[in-house]
Amino acid sequence: MELSKIEEKVESIKNNDNIYSVGKVIKVNPYTVIVSGLNDITYYEEVNVADKAKGFVFGVGKNNVTISLVEVNEKINPGDEVYSLKKQFKCLFSMDSMGKVIDIFGNDLIAGKKFDNLVEVPIENDPIPIMDRGLVNREFLTGITGIDMLYPIGRGQRQLIIGDKKTGKTQIALDAIVNQKDKNMVCLYVALGKTKKEVKDIYYELTKRGAASYTIVIASFHDELPNRTYLTPYVALSIAESMMLDSYDVLVVIDDLKKHADIYRQISLASKKTPGRDAYPSDIFYAHSKLLEKGCQHKNGGSITILPIVETKSSDITDYISTNIISICDGQLVLSSKSFAKGEKPALNYGLSVSRLGGSVQSEDMKRVGSLVRNKLLEYLEVRDIYELANIDEMGPDLQQRLKEGKVILDKLKQYKFSPKSKEEMLELYKFLEVGDTDGNR
Amino acid sequence: MEIGKIITIGDISVEIILSSNDIKIGDILEVKGNDRYVFEVVEINNISATCISLYSTRGIQKGSVVVKKSDGLEIEYSDKILGRVFNSYGEVIDGLPFESEKKVKVSNDTVTLKDVKVETEPLWTGIKVIDFFAPLQKGFKMGLLGGAGVGKTVLIKELIHNIYEGSNSNAVFVGAGERSREGKELYEDMKKSNLLDKMTMVFGQMGDNPVSRSKSVETGLRMAEYLRDEKGQDVLIFIDNIYRFIQARAEISTDLKELLIENGYPSNMSGQISSIEERINSTDEGSITSFQAIYIPADDLTDDAVQTVMSYMDGQIVLDRKVAELGLYPAIDVFRSTSKLVDVEKIGERHFNLVERVLAYLTRYEELEEIIAVLGIEELSEEDKNVFHRSRKLRNYFSQPMFVAEAYTNIKGEFVDIKDVLDDVENILNGKYDDVDESKFRYIGKYNG
Repeated sequence: MELSKIEEKVESIKNNDNIYSVGKVIKVNPYTVIVSGLNDITYYEEVNVADKAKGFVFGVGKNNVTISLVEVNEKINPGDEVYSLKKQFKCLFSMDSMGKVIDIFGNDLIAGKKFDNLVEVPIENDPIPIMDRGLVNREFLTGITGIDMLYPIGRGQRQLIIGDKKTGKTQIALDAIVNQKDKNMVCLYVALGKTKKEVKDIYYELTKRGAASYTIVIASFHDELPNRTYLTPYVALSIAESMMLDSYDVLVVIDDLKKHADIYRQISLASKKTPGRDAYPSDIFYAHSKLLEKGCQHKNGGSITILPIVETKSSDITDYISTNIISICDGQLVLSSKSFAKGEKPALNYGLSVSRLGGSVQSEDMKRVGSLVRNKLLEYLEVRDIYELANIDEMGPDLQQRLKEGKVILDKLKQYKFSPKSKEEMLELYKFLEVGDTDGNR
Repeated sequence: MEIGKIITIGDISVEIILSSNDIKIGDILEVKGNDRYVFEVVEINNISATCISLYSTRGIQKGSVVVKKSDGLEIEYSDKILGRVFNSYGEVIDGLPFESEKKVKVSNDTVTLKDVKVETEPLWTGIKVIDFFAPLQKGFKMGLLGGAGVGKTVLIKELIHNIYEGSNSNAVFVGAGERSREGKELYEDMKKSNLLDKMTMVFGQMGDNPVSRSKSVETGLRMAEYLRDEKGQDVLIFIDNIYRFIQARAEISTDLKELLIENGYPSNMSGQISSIEERINSTDEGSITSFQAIYIPADDLTDDAVQTVMSYMDGQIVLDRKVAELGLYPAIDVFRSTSKLVDVEKIGERHFNLVERVLAYLTRYEELEEIIAVLGIEELSEEDKNVFHRSRKLRNYFSQPMFVAEAYTNIKGEFVDIKDVLDDVENILNGKYDDVDESKFRYIGKYNG
C-alpha cells in the first residue's frame, strides 16, 4: 500500500491537530472491523487499518464506524490505528488487461503481479438515465442456431442463461464470446466463486480459440474475502460502462449470479441485517437490478450486453433468486438436463426460453424464418407429448406432416460446442420450410 | 435554515441530531451546499430525526450540516404534465424545457366512503380472452398477475393501445421498479403512435434506490387525481408494478431496523398498501380505472404482499407460464382470470352461460389430457373426443395477434368485438367448426370461415 501517502496524511492530520481522523479498532470480525473515532468520515471512504488491511466505510453509527475489509495482509488486533484516506473507495484497472485474468485491484493473476498503468474505477455509478438509453435493435450473434434464430439477443440486451449443473451454461457464454471475433466487441468474462482450475481452463480455451485478444477474464474466488466477490461484478460493470460511454460495444458474462446472491446473503447476515425470504436480505432484488440495469444500448452508440448465468437445482426456475433475475432480464435461455442427457445440445428448453425483444433485434430474413420455425417447433413439441401413444397411421395427413416436419426442425437445431454458424448457414438449414425439399418435408 | 448535523449514515437512511424544532415528518432536507444529498423526514424524537435519502448516500460526511429545503415533495398540477416524463420526485426528465404553472404536494388523503362512487358502465378492451372471461367496468381495478417473463408488460402496452385509442381521456403510466429499457421503449412507442401528448409518465425504475421506486407510485397517483378532480375525466392509470412499491418499502423498513413480518415485509404493510389503493377510486368528478401489474415473487401466489394487494382488486387477469410454454399469447389462465362483472345480472344470460360452458369444457379437457397420456386418444368416447377437439380449438382461439407484439410475432394486431367473440365461441361449442383444423384458430381475430 502507498505507505508514503499514509505518512503524509498522518503528518497533515497532526499538523492540523485533528485527532478524529485516526480511529482505533474496537472489535474484529472475520470480514469487518468496528472502529471508534473517525468522526468526520464519509460513507464509502477508503481506510487503512494499521497498514495491515484495507477496507471501506460500510456503516456510520453514533459512536463507531463499521469497516468492510477487502484486503487483509496481517492479523488485525483491537487497538490498531485506522487512518481515513480522505477519498472514496475505488478499485483499480489497467487497459493492458486485454487477454489476461485479472482481479478488481489491478492484479494480473496469471503473471502474479500488479499492472503498471492503473486507473481508478468507481465501484458503482449512478443509474443510467432512461432518456440516455436508445432502443435495443442491433443484433448480437452467438453463432448458435437455437438462439440467433429462435430467441435472439440484441446489443444492450440482458439475456439470462439458467439451468442445472452440467447443462452447458458456461459453454453457451463461451460460444458467444468466441463468435465475437472481428465484430468490434470487447468481452468481459466475470467468474464468481468458480474454482481456480475452472477459471484457468476457461482462460486456455479462450486463448486457444483466438478470443483472448478482445476478452478480459475478471475472477474472484471463494478463498478470498467475501466483500471482494460481492464487489467484483459491480466493478466489472463500471469498467464496461466507461467503455460504453467511449462508444464501445461490450459483452459482460457473469458466471454466476446465484453464487453472488449467496455471498451477499452471507455478508448481510454477518452484519445482522434482518433476513427476508429464504434468509436473503430484503434488498437482494435491488442488489441485482442495479447491476443488470447497467446493460443498455446507449444513445451515443455504445452498448453493454449482459449474459448473467444462474444455476438451479432439479430444473426449478421458480425459486426466489431465479425469478428475481428473470424479472430483471430481457429474456432467458433455459437449459434442460433431460435434453442434455439425450444429447440434444445445446440443451435448450425451447418452451420455457424467452426473448422479450424477439424479432426487433433480428435482420428481416432471420425474423421471418425464425418466427416460422419457432411457431412450428412449439406446436410440434406440444403435439408430440400429447400424441405420443397414438397410432401415426390413424392420424389425419395434416397432423402426420406436422409431426414429421417438427422432428426435422428439432434435429437441425443440434449443434456442438465451438461450431458457430453464420446467419446464411442458419437460413439455409430452414430453407425447406419455405420452398420445400426433396424428402417431401413440406 | 439549519436543522442539525448528520450522525449516522446507512445505505438508505441517515440520522440527524437536531438543533432546531422547526421540523415535521415529510419535510425535505438537504446537506448544506450540496444538493446531491436530499432527505425526507420519516421519524422525529426529542433530539434526533431519522430521514430516508432520495439519492445514493455514498460520500456523505459525518457531521455535515443539514438545512431545510421544502415542506414536502411537489409535483406539477396542471395540463403541463401531459406528454411529459417525470421522475419519482416530480422532476421533468425528458430533457425538454419545462415551465411550471402550479405545484402541489405529492402526498394526498385517500377518498372517503362518502365520496367513493361505484360506476356501472362496461369497458371493452378488444382482447378476446379478457372481454370474455374477465370483462371490465369503468372504475375497475384489475390486477395483472404473472410470474417473470410470461408477457405481462406486452399486455399492458396492448391495453393502453386498445382502450386508449377509443376514449378521449388522458392516461397516466407509472413505471415502478421495472426495466428502464421498457420505459424508454414505451415512451418511444407512444411518441410514434401519437399517444404521448395525451398521457403522462412517471418512472422510478429498478436501477433506482427504494425511495425512488416507492415514491413513483404516489407521484403518478397525484397526476391521475389531477385529471379526475380538475378535468373531470375517466382516467386510466397503469401501474407497472405495484408489487415493487411494497418491495421497496420492505427495503426501507429493513434499513430503518424495523421489525419485519415473514418474508421480510413491513409489519404495517396493509396500511401502506391501503394508503395507495384507497386513493385510486372514482368520485362524482370522474373515474379512475386502473391496471396494476402484480409481480409474484418465487411464483408464490400465497405471498402476503400479493394477497394484500389482491384484496383491493375488482378482478384479475392471471398470466400462466404453462400457457406461455404452449406458445399461446396472451398467456392467460382462464380458470383463474375473472372479474366482478361475470354475473348473470351484469353481462347477460348468453355471455354468462357461454363462460360457464367453456370452463366446463376446458376442465374436462384437462382431465382428458391425463387419460390420453395413458390410453391414447382413440380410446375416448365420441362425446369426449368432441370435448377434446373443441377445447383445443377454443384454447387456440383465445390466443390473439396483438398490435404491440407485431415486431415479435410478425402478425398484425386485431381488435375484436365482444359480439363476434360470443358468436365464434358458441359456434365452436356447438360443433359448427368440427371439420376445421385446430391450427386455423391460432392467432386470429374473429373467425372468418
